[in-house]
Amino acid sequence: MIEAALPGAAVEVVDETGGGDHLRATVTAAQFEGLSRIDQHRLVKAAVKARFDDGAIHALSVKTAVPGS
Amino acid sequence: MADAELKQKVEELIAANPVLLFMKGTPEMPRCGFSMRVVQALDAMDVEYGAIDVLPALQPLREVTAEISDWQTFPQLYVNGELLGGADIVEEMFDSGELAEALGVEQPEAAPPPAAAAGPAQAPPLQIE
Repeated sequence: MIEAALPGAAVEVVDETGGGDHLRATVTAAQFEGLSRIDQHRLVKAAVKARFDDGAIHALSVKTAVPGS
Repeated sequence: MADAELKQKVEELIAANPVLLFMKGTPEMPRCGFSMRVVQALDAMDVEYGAIDVLPALQPLREVTAEISDWQTFPQLYVNGELLGGADIVEEMFDSGELAEALGVEQPEAAPPPAAAAGPAQAPPLQIE
């Protein structure tokens, strides 16, 4: 879902508990260039909002980076 | 549409507290790992902060903060009226020194202690109808 919202991004998602609902996403995307950390996180969270809304994701840890940093 | 009265109350709290944390549970008893991490970072900074337990009104508060800050998950740390972010961002800022800068304090030398240090100023509980 993150890759669809941020084409070209490098996305790595780790299931922290094995239950599929506590995830850690590490996202590197050129689209983050120039954005504050919080705006970068907003983009990632907006991409997976549907899974938050339907309860599939309970907690999401986000780490963002710009390519080359 | 977020509850207008609740939204106004939240805006007043944000304006009244230089450092305000919306969290699950209380600083003495956080009810979520992310909230606990922010409390630890703030305690390491040794600043006074207001803390609001969102659990009694979780969904209404999500709607309010979605409208105010385009952010619906908790914890949320507001400094001087601005949302800094949740646990991940606060921790990154703690490590980089940006949090100390935002709070106007010195960067602590050690990592956050496991137990709460100085007690934070507890904001009055939100009256939810």
